[in-house]
Amino acid sequence: MEGLTVAGNLEALGAIASYVQAAAASAGLSKARTYNLRLAVDEVITNIIIHGYQESGLTGDVSIQAWIDDAALTVCLEDAGADYNPYHIQDELNCEKVIHQPLEERPLGGLGVYLAMRSVDQFRYERIGDRNRTSFVVFRRSPS
Amino acid sequence: MKINIKTVGDIQVIALEGDVDANTAPKVQQHVLSLAEPKSKILLNLTDVPYMSSAGLRMLLSLYRQTTTKQGQLVLVGLGEDIRRTMSVTGFLNFFTTCDTLEVGLTVFDRNF
Repeated sequence: MEGLTVAGNLEALGAIASYVQAAAASAGLSKARTYNLRLAVDEVITNIIIHGYQESGLTGDVSIQAWIDDAALTVCLEDAGADYNPYHIQDELNCEKVIHQPLEERPLGGLGVYLAMRSVDQFRYERIGDRNRTSFVVFRRSPS
Repeated sequence: MKINIKTVGDIQVIALEGDVDANTAPKVQQHVLSLAEPKSKILLNLTDVPYMSSAGLRMLLSLYRQTTTKQGQLVLVGLGEDIRRTMSVTGFLNFFTTCDTLEVGLTVFDRNF
């Protein structure tokens, strides 16, 4: 699919969601897998915008590009925000422990990355030069 | 995002319409938290919410804490299958009273509270 580039602010989340839903429809994903992919992309873009750009005092774009082949739909995000490593966030927050805590004792953040990683078949983060690249892969036929 | 607030007896019924993401959640949170007064009964109707990200979960977490601290009651109504799954994966679901319909939701508040 032709890619899409949006300004890195939260108003862009709707356009990104529409792009992901169109890609998922082209790939013939089920309703639940479409929802999960949208969730994963939405959570990561939200982190990019809030932590990578706004809290780092930076502005910039986020590009999204989808590819469909026989096996899978791959969605790739690129941004020029601060170095943002979801694996470190995941480790620091120890999410597997957090989700078993009573709601009264939980930290307010950190669930987004946990959800993003769990919602797709493959999740990959790379820092390439001064850019972040995050990739999401959803298999078109779920392994049974 | 549309936020519709009305009162049924002593229950405050908040109906949301639209996606709850990081862009819309702050507005929702501002409205719903202002209703969480001591011993308030709050019903949050999510029947017309097709999507909720972790920003929405954080809003629910804040509302849960406010109502619990102030000895109020909170009931969630009309959770879609997808949102229910997200709440289950994150361990949120079991903490909330949930009902399928508004009619049932209005009957589960503790009247003697």
